[in-house]
Amino acid sequence: MLQIEGIRKEFSGGHVPVVALEAVDLTIERGEFVTLVGPSGCGKSSLLTLISGLAPPSSGRIRIAGRDIAGTDRAVGFITQQDNLFPWRTLIDNVALALELAGVGAAERRREAGRWIERVGLAGFERAYPHQLSGGMRQRANIIRTLIYEPSVILMDEPFGPLDAQTRLSLQALLLSIWETQRSTVLFVTHDLTEAIALADRVVLMSARPGRIVRADRVEIRRPRDIFYMHDLPEFRRLYDTLWHELAAQLDGLGRSTH
Amino acid sequence: MNSPHSSMASVEAPTSSAVAAPASPPAAPRRRAPLPWFSADNIVSLYISRIAFAVIVLGAWEYGADRWFDSFFFSTPLKILRQVALELIDPGFYWDLWVTSFEMGLGFAIGAGGGIVLGVLLARWAYVAKMLDPFLLALYSIPRIALAPMLIVWFGIGYSSKVFLGATLVFFITFFNTLAGIRSVDRALCDIARVMQATEWQIFMKVMLPSASSWILTSVKISLPFALVGVILGEFLVSSQGLGFRLNTYSTNYNITGAMAIVFLMMVLMLMLTAITNAIEARALRWRPKSAAEPVAQS
Repeated sequence: MLQIEGIRKEFSGGHVPVVALEAVDLTIERGEFVTLVGPSGCGKSSLLTLISGLAPPSSGRIRIAGRDIAGTDRAVGFITQQDNLFPWRTLIDNVALALELAGVGAAERRREAGRWIERVGLAGFERAYPHQLSGGMRQRANIIRTLIYEPSVILMDEPFGPLDAQTRLSLQALLLSIWETQRSTVLFVTHDLTEAIALADRVVLMSARPGRIVRADRVEIRRPRDIFYMHDLPEFRRLYDTLWHELAAQLDGLGRSTH
Repeated sequence: MNSPHSSMASVEAPTSSAVAAPASPPAAPRRRAPLPWFSADNIVSLYISRIAFAVIVLGAWEYGADRWFDSFFFSTPLKILRQVALELIDPGFYWDLWVTSFEMGLGFAIGAGGGIVLGVLLARWAYVAKMLDPFLLALYSIPRIALAPMLIVWFGIGYSSKVFLGATLVFFITFFNTLAGIRSVDRALCDIARVMQATEWQIFMKVMLPSASSWILTSVKISLPFALVGVILGEFLVSSQGLGFRLNTYSTNYNITGAMAIVFLMMVLMLMLTAITNAIEARALRWRPKSAAEPVAQS
Protein backbone atom coordinates (compact mmCIF):
# COMPACT_ATOMS: atom_id res chain seq x y z
CA MET A 1 0.00 0.00 0.00
CA LEU A 2 1.27 3.43 -0.96
CA GLN A 3 0.19 6.29 1.29
CA ILE A 4 0.71 9.91 0.41
CA GLU A 5 -0.21 12.24 3.25
CA GLY A 6 -0.39 16.02 3.21
CA ILE A 7 2.30 16.44 0.60
CA ARG A 8 3.33 19.97 -0.23
CA LYS A 9 6.11 20.91 -2.59
CA GLU A 10 7.46 24.38 -3.05
CA PHE A 11 10.22 25.35 -5.48
CA SER A 12 12.11 28.37 -4.26
CA GLY A 13 14.68 28.62 -7.02
CA GLY A 14 13.16 31.44 -9.10
CA HIS A 15 12.15 35.03 -8.29
CA VAL A 16 9.00 33.93 -6.49
CA PRO A 17 8.63 30.58 -4.77
CA VAL A 18 6.27 28.32 -6.74
CA VAL A 19 3.95 25.95 -4.93
CA ALA A 20 3.74 22.89 -7.17
CA LEU A 21 1.72 20.66 -4.87
CA GLU A 22 -0.58 21.53 -1.99
CA ALA A 23 -2.13 19.18 0.56
CA VAL A 24 -2.04 16.08 -1.60
CA ASP A 25 -3.51 13.00 0.05
CA LEU A 26 -3.77 9.73 -1.81
CA THR A 27 -3.84 6.11 -0.77
CA ILE A 28 -3.21 3.41 -3.33
CA GLU A 29 -4.04 -0.16 -2.46
CA ARG A 30 -1.52 -2.92 -2.99
CA GLY A 31 -1.79 -4.15 -6.57
CA GLU A 32 -3.93 -1.21 -7.65
CA PHE A 33 -3.38 0.58 -10.97
CA VAL A 34 -4.01 4.31 -10.52
CA THR A 35 -3.66 6.88 -13.24
CA LEU A 36 -3.11 10.55 -12.51
CA VAL A 37 -4.42 13.17 -14.93
CA GLY A 38 -4.46 16.93 -14.82
CA PRO A 39 -3.58 20.06 -16.77
CA SER A 40 0.04 20.52 -17.84
CA GLY A 41 2.21 21.86 -15.07
CA CYS A 42 -0.14 20.76 -12.30
CA GLY A 43 2.61 18.92 -10.50
CA LYS A 44 1.84 15.35 -11.62
CA SER A 45 5.45 14.68 -12.49
CA SER A 46 6.67 16.46 -9.37
CA LEU A 47 4.58 14.11 -7.27
CA LEU A 48 6.23 11.09 -8.91
CA THR A 49 9.68 12.57 -8.34
CA LEU A 50 8.86 12.98 -4.64
CA ILE A 51 7.64 9.39 -4.32
CA SER A 52 10.72 8.14 -6.16
CA GLY A 53 12.83 9.78 -3.47
CA LEU A 54 14.92 11.78 -5.93
CA ALA A 55 13.68 14.97 -4.25
CA PRO A 56 12.21 15.51 -0.78
CA PRO A 57 8.73 17.02 -0.22
CA SER A 58 8.56 20.40 1.53
CA SER A 59 6.19 18.77 3.99
CA GLY A 60 4.08 15.66 4.34
CA ARG A 61 5.00 11.99 4.35
CA ILE A 62 5.10 9.09 1.95
CA ARG A 63 4.79 5.54 3.20
CA ILE A 64 4.93 2.16 1.58
CA ALA A 65 3.43 -0.72 3.52
CA GLY A 66 3.50 1.51 6.58
CA ARG A 67 7.22 2.31 6.20
CA ASP A 68 8.33 5.91 5.71
CA ILE A 69 10.20 6.57 2.48
CA ALA A 70 13.30 8.74 2.75
CA GLY A 71 15.39 8.92 -0.37
CA THR A 72 15.30 6.38 -3.18
CA ASP A 73 13.99 3.00 -2.19
CA ARG A 74 14.37 -0.56 -3.40
CA ALA A 75 10.57 -0.94 -3.36
CA VAL A 76 9.96 1.94 -5.79
CA GLY A 77 10.64 1.80 -9.52
CA PHE A 78 10.46 4.89 -11.75
CA ILE A 79 9.79 4.74 -15.48
CA THR A 80 10.41 8.10 -17.12
CA GLN A 81 8.96 9.71 -20.22
CA GLN A 82 12.30 9.87 -21.99
CA ASP A 83 13.59 6.34 -22.31
CA ASN A 84 16.98 7.37 -20.87
CA LEU A 85 18.63 4.15 -21.96
CA PHE A 86 22.41 4.26 -21.57
CA PRO A 87 23.62 4.81 -25.14
CA TRP A 88 26.86 2.91 -24.54
CA ARG A 89 25.10 -0.24 -23.38
CA THR A 90 23.52 -2.90 -25.54
CA LEU A 91 19.83 -3.59 -25.09
CA ILE A 92 20.42 -6.60 -22.87
CA ASP A 93 22.91 -4.76 -20.66
CA ASN A 94 20.50 -1.83 -20.33
CA VAL A 95 17.73 -4.17 -19.23
CA ALA A 96 20.04 -5.98 -16.81
CA LEU A 97 21.35 -2.75 -15.23
CA ALA A 98 19.39 -2.97 -11.98
CA LEU A 99 20.50 -6.57 -11.43
CA GLU A 100 24.09 -5.61 -12.21
CA LEU A 101 23.96 -2.81 -9.64
CA ALA A 102 22.57 -5.28 -7.11
CA GLY A 103 25.52 -7.60 -7.72
CA VAL A 104 23.73 -10.38 -9.58
CA GLY A 105 26.18 -12.53 -11.59
CA ALA A 106 26.60 -11.94 -15.31
CA ALA A 107 25.12 -15.23 -16.50
CA GLU A 108 22.05 -15.00 -14.30
CA ARG A 109 21.23 -11.36 -15.07
CA ARG A 110 21.65 -11.96 -18.80
CA ARG A 111 19.29 -14.91 -18.60
CA GLU A 112 16.71 -12.87 -16.72
CA ALA A 113 17.06 -9.87 -19.05
CA GLY A 114 16.80 -12.17 -22.05
CA ARG A 115 13.49 -13.51 -20.76
CA TRP A 116 12.04 -10.03 -20.42
CA ILE A 117 13.33 -8.97 -23.81
CA GLU A 118 11.63 -11.94 -25.39
CA ARG A 119 8.44 -11.28 -23.51
CA VAL A 120 8.07 -7.79 -25.00
CA GLY A 121 8.91 -8.92 -28.51
CA LEU A 122 12.48 -7.62 -28.73
CA ALA A 123 14.20 -10.99 -29.15
CA GLY A 124 16.98 -10.73 -31.71
CA PHE A 125 17.90 -7.18 -30.66
CA GLU A 126 19.81 -8.09 -27.47
CA ARG A 127 23.11 -6.82 -28.84
CA ALA A 128 21.70 -3.68 -30.48
CA TYR A 129 22.62 -0.25 -29.12
CA PRO A 130 19.80 2.18 -28.28
CA HIS A 131 20.43 4.38 -31.32
CA GLN A 132 19.72 1.36 -33.52
CA LEU A 133 16.24 0.89 -32.03
CA SER A 134 13.00 2.71 -32.77
CA GLY A 135 11.23 4.87 -30.17
CA GLY A 136 8.71 2.14 -29.37
CA MET A 137 11.41 -0.48 -28.91
CA ARG A 138 13.41 1.81 -26.64
CA GLN A 139 10.37 2.55 -24.53
CA ARG A 140 9.67 -1.17 -24.14
CA ALA A 141 13.25 -1.61 -22.95
CA ASN A 142 12.83 1.33 -20.57
CA ILE A 143 9.79 -0.35 -19.02
CA ILE A 144 11.25 -3.82 -18.58
CA ARG A 145 14.50 -2.59 -17.07
CA THR A 146 12.39 -1.43 -14.13
CA LEU A 147 10.07 -4.45 -14.09
CA ILE A 148 13.06 -6.80 -14.00
CA TYR A 149 13.87 -6.04 -10.36
CA GLU A 150 10.24 -6.25 -9.31
CA PRO A 151 9.75 -3.11 -7.24
CA SER A 152 6.42 -3.34 -5.44
CA VAL A 153 5.47 0.21 -6.45
CA ILE A 154 6.00 1.34 -10.03
CA LEU A 155 5.80 5.01 -10.98
CA MET A 156 5.30 5.80 -14.65
CA ASP A 157 5.64 9.35 -15.96
CA GLU A 158 3.88 9.56 -19.34
CA PRO A 159 5.93 6.65 -20.64
CA PHE A 160 4.01 6.54 -23.92
CA GLY A 161 3.93 10.31 -24.40
CA PRO A 162 6.53 10.57 -27.15
CA LEU A 163 5.16 7.64 -29.20
CA ASP A 164 2.83 7.61 -32.19
CA ALA A 165 -0.80 6.57 -31.66
CA GLN A 166 -0.47 3.00 -32.90
CA THR A 167 2.69 2.23 -30.98
CA ARG A 168 1.07 3.75 -27.91
CA LEU A 169 -1.91 1.45 -28.18
CA SER A 170 0.18 -1.68 -28.59
CA LEU A 171 2.39 -0.72 -25.65
CA GLN A 172 -0.64 -0.02 -23.47
CA ALA A 173 -1.91 -3.51 -24.28
CA LEU A 174 1.51 -4.96 -23.54
CA LEU A 175 1.73 -3.12 -20.23
CA LEU A 176 -1.71 -4.34 -19.17
CA SER A 177 -0.97 -7.93 -20.07
CA ILE A 178 2.25 -7.85 -18.04
CA TRP A 179 0.65 -6.04 -15.12
CA GLU A 180 -2.23 -8.50 -15.00
CA THR A 181 0.23 -11.29 -14.25
CA GLN A 182 2.51 -9.14 -12.05
CA ARG A 183 0.01 -7.07 -10.06
CA SER A 184 2.41 -4.50 -8.75
CA THR A 185 1.09 -1.20 -7.44
CA VAL A 186 1.20 1.33 -10.27
CA LEU A 187 0.90 5.11 -10.27
CA PHE A 188 0.78 6.23 -13.89
CA VAL A 189 0.86 9.89 -14.92
CA THR A 190 -0.63 10.88 -18.26
CA HIS A 191 -2.36 13.83 -19.85
CA ASP A 192 -4.33 11.54 -22.13
CA LEU A 193 -7.75 10.86 -20.62
CA THR A 194 -8.41 7.86 -22.88
CA GLU A 195 -5.20 6.24 -21.75
CA ALA A 196 -5.95 7.08 -18.13
CA ILE A 197 -9.33 5.33 -18.18
CA ALA A 198 -8.24 2.40 -20.31
CA LEU A 199 -5.44 1.37 -17.97
CA ALA A 200 -6.68 2.25 -14.51
CA ASP A 201 -8.60 0.80 -11.63
CA ARG A 202 -8.95 4.37 -10.46
CA VAL A 203 -8.43 7.68 -12.24
CA VAL A 204 -7.26 10.57 -10.06
CA LEU A 205 -7.75 14.08 -11.37
CA MET A 206 -5.53 16.94 -10.24
CA SER A 207 -6.19 20.66 -10.36
CA ALA A 208 -4.10 23.33 -12.02
CA ARG A 209 -1.20 24.68 -9.98
CA PRO A 210 -0.91 24.37 -7.10
CA GLY A 211 -1.77 20.73 -7.73
CA ARG A 212 -4.48 19.33 -5.53
CA ILE A 213 -6.52 16.19 -5.94
CA VAL A 214 -9.94 17.15 -7.28
CA ARG A 215 -11.59 13.77 -7.58
CA ALA A 216 -10.92 10.08 -7.93
CA ASP A 217 -13.15 7.75 -9.92
CA ARG A 218 -13.21 3.99 -10.02
CA VAL A 219 -13.18 2.51 -13.52
CA GLU A 220 -15.90 -0.16 -13.58
CA ILE A 221 -14.61 -2.10 -16.55
CA ARG A 222 -13.67 -5.66 -15.77
CA ARG A 223 -10.30 -7.14 -16.49
CA PRO A 224 -8.68 -8.46 -18.51
CA ARG A 225 -9.48 -5.57 -20.79
CA ASP A 226 -9.13 -5.22 -24.50
CA ILE A 227 -7.44 -1.90 -25.10
CA PHE A 228 -8.30 -1.99 -28.78
CA TYR A 229 -12.08 -2.16 -28.39
CA MET A 230 -12.92 -0.71 -25.00
CA HIS A 231 -13.50 2.88 -26.06
CA ASP A 232 -17.05 2.09 -27.21
CA LEU A 233 -18.16 0.65 -23.89
CA PRO A 234 -20.86 2.78 -22.20
CA GLU A 235 -18.96 2.75 -18.87
CA PHE A 236 -15.96 4.13 -20.68
CA ARG A 237 -17.90 6.90 -22.41
CA ARG A 238 -19.66 7.93 -19.25
CA LEU A 239 -16.50 8.28 -17.23
CA TYR A 240 -14.72 9.99 -20.09
CA ASP A 241 -17.44 12.66 -20.35
CA THR A 242 -17.51 13.28 -16.62
CA LEU A 243 -13.76 13.63 -16.36
CA TRP A 244 -13.54 15.71 -19.51
CA HIS A 245 -15.95 18.31 -18.08
CA GLU A 246 -13.91 18.51 -14.94
CA LEU A 247 -10.62 18.73 -16.81
CA ALA A 248 -11.99 21.35 -19.21
CA ALA A 249 -13.03 23.46 -16.23
CA GLN A 250 -9.48 23.18 -14.86
CA LEU A 251 -7.99 24.14 -18.20
CA ASP A 252 -10.39 27.06 -18.50
CA GLY A 253 -9.49 28.30 -15.04
CA LEU A 254 -5.84 28.01 -15.99
CA GLY A 255 -6.48 30.09 -19.11
CA ARG A 256 -8.18 32.83 -17.13
CA SER A 257 -5.65 32.99 -14.38
CA THR A 258 -2.72 33.39 -16.73
CA HIS A 259 -4.25 35.93 -19.14
CA MET B 1 -12.70 -17.01 -23.50
CA ASN B 2 -13.21 -16.67 -27.21
CA SER B 3 -14.68 -13.24 -26.90
CA PRO B 4 -12.17 -10.75 -28.25
CA HIS B 5 -13.15 -8.40 -25.44
CA SER B 6 -12.09 -10.58 -22.59
CA SER B 7 -9.38 -13.03 -23.56
CA MET B 8 -5.76 -12.39 -22.70
CA ALA B 9 -4.73 -13.85 -26.00
CA SER B 10 -6.59 -11.19 -27.88
CA VAL B 11 -4.79 -8.54 -25.92
CA GLU B 12 -1.43 -10.03 -26.66
CA ALA B 13 -1.92 -11.10 -30.22
CA PRO B 14 -2.12 -7.68 -31.85
CA THR B 15 0.62 -6.52 -29.54
CA SER B 16 3.16 -9.09 -30.46
CA SER B 17 2.40 -8.82 -34.15
CA ALA B 18 2.73 -5.08 -33.90
CA VAL B 19 5.95 -5.12 -31.95
CA ALA B 20 7.97 -8.06 -33.15
CA ALA B 21 8.63 -7.03 -36.73
CA PRO B 22 12.32 -7.88 -37.23
CA ALA B 23 14.59 -5.24 -38.63
CA SER B 24 14.48 -5.33 -42.38
CA PRO B 25 17.64 -6.82 -43.92
CA PRO B 26 20.09 -4.23 -45.21
CA ALA B 27 19.15 -3.13 -48.67
CA ALA B 28 21.11 -5.01 -51.32
CA PRO B 29 23.62 -2.75 -53.10
CA ARG B 30 21.93 -1.58 -56.21
CA ARG B 31 23.62 -0.69 -59.46
CA ARG B 32 23.82 3.06 -59.55
CA ALA B 33 24.59 5.51 -62.27
CA PRO B 34 28.36 6.31 -62.28
CA LEU B 35 29.26 9.38 -60.24
CA PRO B 36 30.47 12.49 -62.02
CA TRP B 37 34.29 12.72 -62.08
CA PHE B 38 34.53 15.68 -59.73
CA SER B 39 31.95 14.39 -57.26
CA ALA B 40 33.41 14.35 -53.72
CA ASP B 41 32.01 10.81 -53.37
CA ASN B 42 33.88 9.44 -56.37
CA ILE B 43 36.57 7.38 -54.62
CA VAL B 44 38.31 6.26 -57.82
CA SER B 45 38.72 9.79 -59.14
CA LEU B 46 39.86 11.01 -55.71
CA TYR B 47 42.67 8.45 -55.54
CA ILE B 48 43.81 9.14 -59.08
CA SER B 49 43.83 12.88 -58.39
CA ARG B 50 45.74 12.42 -55.15
CA ILE B 51 48.42 10.34 -56.81
CA ALA B 52 48.68 12.86 -59.66
CA PHE B 53 49.00 15.70 -57.13
CA ALA B 54 51.81 13.96 -55.26
CA VAL B 55 53.63 13.06 -58.49
CA ILE B 56 53.45 16.66 -59.75
CA VAL B 57 54.68 18.22 -56.48
CA LEU B 58 57.46 15.69 -55.88
CA GLY B 59 58.34 15.63 -59.58
CA ALA B 60 58.69 19.42 -59.67
CA TRP B 61 60.88 19.26 -56.57
CA GLU B 62 63.08 16.55 -58.07
CA TYR B 63 63.26 18.18 -61.48
CA GLY B 64 63.79 21.70 -60.17
CA ALA B 65 66.71 20.73 -57.93
CA ASP B 66 69.87 22.54 -59.11
CA ARG B 67 67.83 23.97 -62.00
CA TRP B 68 65.48 26.32 -60.14
CA PHE B 69 66.99 26.14 -56.67
CA ASP B 70 70.07 24.88 -54.88
CA SER B 71 69.60 21.28 -53.76
CA PHE B 72 72.04 21.93 -50.92
CA PHE B 73 69.27 23.81 -49.12
CA PHE B 74 66.25 21.73 -50.07
CA SER B 75 67.63 18.29 -51.00
CA THR B 76 65.51 16.18 -53.39
CA PRO B 77 62.83 13.53 -52.86
CA LEU B 78 65.01 10.72 -54.21
CA LYS B 79 67.97 11.67 -52.02
CA ILE B 80 65.66 11.84 -48.99
CA LEU B 81 64.17 8.46 -49.86
CA ARG B 82 67.64 6.97 -50.11
CA GLN B 83 68.57 8.50 -46.75
CA VAL B 84 65.38 7.06 -45.20
CA ALA B 85 66.48 3.63 -46.40
CA LEU B 86 69.94 4.19 -44.88
CA GLU B 87 68.38 5.24 -41.56
CA LEU B 88 66.25 2.11 -41.55
CA ILE B 89 69.33 -0.14 -41.73
CA ASP B 90 71.26 1.89 -39.14
CA PRO B 91 71.10 0.43 -35.57
CA GLY B 92 71.79 3.94 -34.24
CA PHE B 93 68.50 5.12 -35.70
CA TYR B 94 66.59 2.43 -33.84
CA TRP B 95 68.24 3.39 -30.57
CA ASP B 96 67.24 7.02 -31.09
CA LEU B 97 63.73 5.94 -32.08
CA TRP B 98 63.46 3.88 -28.90
CA VAL B 99 64.67 6.74 -26.70
CA THR B 100 62.21 9.20 -28.22
CA SER B 101 59.32 6.71 -28.12
CA PHE B 102 60.07 5.92 -24.49
CA GLU B 103 60.17 9.59 -23.48
CA MET B 104 57.05 10.29 -25.47
CA GLY B 105 55.16 7.31 -24.04
CA LEU B 106 56.08 8.17 -20.49
CA GLY B 107 55.33 11.87 -20.95
CA PHE B 108 52.01 11.05 -22.52
CA ALA B 109 51.08 8.58 -19.79
CA ILE B 110 51.93 11.04 -17.01
CA GLY B 111 50.23 13.99 -18.72
CA ALA B 112 47.09 12.14 -19.80
CA GLY B 113 46.84 10.14 -16.56
CA GLY B 114 47.25 13.25 -14.45
CA GLY B 115 44.81 15.21 -16.62
CA ILE B 116 42.13 12.54 -16.42
CA VAL B 117 42.51 11.97 -12.68
CA LEU B 118 42.51 15.67 -11.83
CA GLY B 119 39.65 16.30 -14.28
CA VAL B 120 37.54 13.63 -12.61
CA LEU B 121 38.39 14.87 -9.12
CA LEU B 122 37.62 18.50 -9.85
CA ALA B 123 34.43 17.60 -11.70
CA ARG B 124 33.26 15.89 -8.50
CA TRP B 125 34.57 18.62 -6.20
CA ALA B 126 32.95 21.79 -7.46
CA TYR B 127 34.32 24.08 -4.76
CA VAL B 128 37.96 23.29 -5.39
CA ALA B 129 37.38 23.47 -9.15
CA LYS B 130 35.99 26.97 -8.84
CA MET B 131 38.71 28.04 -6.44
CA LEU B 132 41.50 26.77 -8.72
CA ASP B 133 39.87 28.01 -11.92
CA PRO B 134 41.90 31.24 -12.42
CA PHE B 135 45.15 29.49 -11.53
CA LEU B 136 44.56 26.67 -13.98
CA LEU B 137 43.72 29.20 -16.66
CA ALA B 138 46.91 31.12 -15.88
CA LEU B 139 49.03 27.96 -16.07
CA TYR B 140 47.33 26.97 -19.29
CA SER B 141 48.16 30.38 -20.73
CA ILE B 142 51.89 29.90 -20.25
CA PRO B 143 53.39 28.86 -23.55
CA ARG B 144 54.85 25.73 -22.02
CA ILE B 145 57.60 25.60 -24.62
CA ALA B 146 59.00 28.65 -22.81
CA LEU B 147 59.53 26.48 -19.75
CA ALA B 148 61.92 24.20 -21.62
CA PRO B 149 65.21 25.89 -20.60
CA MET B 150 64.15 25.93 -16.96
CA LEU B 151 63.01 22.34 -17.11
CA ILE B 152 66.52 21.39 -18.14
CA VAL B 153 67.89 23.30 -15.17
CA TRP B 154 65.41 21.58 -12.86
CA PHE B 155 65.41 18.07 -14.25
CA GLY B 156 68.87 17.84 -15.78
CA ILE B 157 69.83 16.89 -19.27
CA GLY B 158 68.61 13.28 -18.99
CA TYR B 159 65.30 11.99 -20.25
CA SER B 160 63.17 13.37 -17.40
CA SER B 161 63.21 16.95 -18.71
CA LYS B 162 61.85 15.72 -22.07
CA VAL B 163 59.24 13.56 -20.41
CA PHE B 164 58.06 16.48 -18.30
CA LEU B 165 57.87 18.86 -21.25
CA GLY B 166 55.73 16.36 -23.17
CA ALA B 167 53.56 15.76 -20.11
CA THR B 168 52.80 19.46 -19.54
CA LEU B 169 51.60 19.82 -23.12
CA VAL B 170 49.35 16.75 -22.86
CA PHE B 171 48.05 17.43 -19.37
CA PHE B 172 45.88 20.47 -19.97
CA ILE B 173 44.19 19.03 -23.05
CA THR B 174 43.07 15.88 -21.27
CA PHE B 175 42.32 17.75 -18.05
CA PHE B 176 39.92 20.30 -19.56
CA ASN B 177 38.21 17.66 -21.71
CA THR B 178 37.71 15.25 -18.84
CA LEU B 179 36.32 18.03 -16.68
CA ALA B 180 33.89 19.06 -19.41
CA GLY B 181 33.00 15.44 -20.15
CA ILE B 182 32.10 14.58 -16.56
CA ARG B 183 30.21 17.85 -16.15
CA SER B 184 28.12 17.18 -19.24
CA VAL B 185 26.85 13.81 -18.01
CA ASP B 186 23.08 13.65 -18.35
CA ARG B 187 21.60 13.94 -14.85
CA ALA B 188 18.60 11.88 -15.90
CA LEU B 189 20.89 8.88 -16.43
CA CYS B 190 22.36 9.30 -12.95
CA ASP B 191 18.83 9.47 -11.54
CA ILE B 192 17.91 6.20 -13.26
CA ALA B 193 20.80 4.49 -11.54
CA ARG B 194 20.03 6.23 -8.24
CA VAL B 195 16.44 4.97 -8.24
CA MET B 196 17.90 1.48 -8.83
CA GLN B 197 19.86 1.89 -5.59
CA ALA B 198 23.26 2.48 -7.19
CA THR B 199 26.00 3.62 -4.83
CA GLU B 200 27.86 6.85 -5.60
CA TRP B 201 30.82 4.76 -6.72
CA GLN B 202 28.60 2.73 -9.08
CA ILE B 203 27.12 5.92 -10.51
CA PHE B 204 30.62 7.15 -11.17
CA MET B 205 31.88 3.91 -12.72
CA LYS B 206 28.79 2.90 -14.66
CA VAL B 207 27.27 6.25 -15.64
CA MET B 208 29.72 9.13 -15.45
CA LEU B 209 32.87 7.52 -16.72
CA PRO B 210 31.32 5.76 -19.74
CA SER B 211 29.34 8.88 -20.54
CA ALA B 212 32.48 11.03 -20.50
CA SER B 213 34.51 8.44 -22.38
CA SER B 214 34.02 10.05 -25.78
CA TRP B 215 35.38 13.38 -24.45
CA ILE B 216 38.29 11.67 -22.78
CA LEU B 217 39.21 9.56 -25.81
CA THR B 218 39.01 12.55 -28.11
CA SER B 219 41.38 14.50 -25.88
CA VAL B 220 43.77 11.56 -25.78
CA LYS B 221 43.81 11.50 -29.56
CA ILE B 222 44.34 15.25 -29.87
CA SER B 223 47.05 15.41 -27.24
CA LEU B 224 49.20 12.52 -28.47
CA PRO B 225 51.07 14.58 -31.11
CA PHE B 226 51.84 17.17 -28.45
CA ALA B 227 53.74 14.59 -26.47
CA LEU B 228 56.04 14.14 -29.48
CA VAL B 229 56.38 17.91 -29.91
CA GLY B 230 57.45 18.34 -26.28
CA VAL B 231 59.95 15.50 -26.40
CA ILE B 232 61.54 16.59 -29.69
CA LEU B 233 61.88 20.13 -28.43
CA GLY B 234 63.54 18.93 -25.24
CA GLU B 235 65.96 16.85 -27.30
CA PHE B 236 66.76 19.85 -29.48
CA LEU B 237 67.86 21.90 -26.52
CA VAL B 238 70.14 19.49 -24.73
CA SER B 239 70.56 15.80 -25.34
CA SER B 240 72.89 13.13 -26.56
CA GLN B 241 70.31 10.73 -27.99
CA GLY B 242 66.82 10.57 -29.49
CA LEU B 243 65.29 11.52 -32.82
CA GLY B 244 65.41 15.22 -31.92
CA PHE B 245 69.11 14.91 -31.23
CA ARG B 246 69.65 13.04 -34.51
CA LEU B 247 67.71 15.69 -36.43
CA ASN B 248 69.63 18.47 -34.73
CA THR B 249 72.95 16.82 -35.51
CA TYR B 250 72.10 16.57 -39.20
CA SER B 251 70.87 20.15 -39.51
CA THR B 252 73.78 21.72 -37.62
CA ASN B 253 76.05 19.89 -40.06
CA TYR B 254 74.03 21.30 -42.97
CA ASN B 255 72.95 17.78 -43.88
CA ILE B 256 69.48 18.79 -45.11
CA THR B 257 68.85 15.37 -46.67
CA GLY B 258 69.45 13.68 -43.33
CA ALA B 259 67.26 16.16 -41.47
CA MET B 260 64.46 15.79 -44.00
CA ALA B 261 64.66 12.01 -43.74
CA ILE B 262 64.21 12.19 -39.96
CA VAL B 263 61.28 14.60 -40.32
CA PHE B 264 59.72 12.15 -42.77
CA LEU B 265 60.21 9.26 -40.37
CA MET B 266 58.69 11.29 -37.51
CA MET B 267 55.69 11.92 -39.72
CA VAL B 268 55.34 8.18 -40.36
CA LEU B 269 55.64 7.48 -36.62
CA MET B 270 52.89 9.98 -35.86
CA LEU B 271 50.64 8.60 -38.60
CA MET B 272 51.00 5.13 -37.15
CA LEU B 273 50.19 6.30 -33.64
CA THR B 274 47.14 8.19 -34.91
CA ALA B 275 45.94 5.08 -36.73
CA ILE B 276 46.25 3.09 -33.50
CA THR B 277 44.35 5.65 -31.42
CA ASN B 278 41.68 5.90 -34.11
CA ALA B 279 41.21 2.14 -33.99
CA ILE B 280 41.00 2.19 -30.18
CA GLU B 281 38.50 5.02 -30.29
CA ALA B 282 36.34 3.32 -32.91
CA ARG B 283 36.29 0.16 -30.82
CA ALA B 284 35.56 1.90 -27.51
CA LEU B 285 32.87 4.14 -28.99
CA ARG B 286 31.15 1.63 -31.23
CA TRP B 287 27.89 2.40 -29.41
CA ARG B 288 27.74 5.83 -31.03
CA PRO B 289 25.73 6.28 -34.19
CA LYS B 290 28.15 6.37 -37.10
CA SER B 291 26.01 8.76 -39.06
CA ALA B 292 22.48 10.02 -39.13
CA ALA B 293 21.90 7.85 -42.18
CA GLU B 294 22.31 4.60 -40.30
CA PRO B 295 19.10 2.58 -40.51
CA VAL B 296 17.03 2.27 -37.35
CA ALA B 297 15.15 -0.95 -36.66
CA GLN B 298 11.44 -0.44 -37.13
CA SER B 299 8.79 -1.63 -34.76
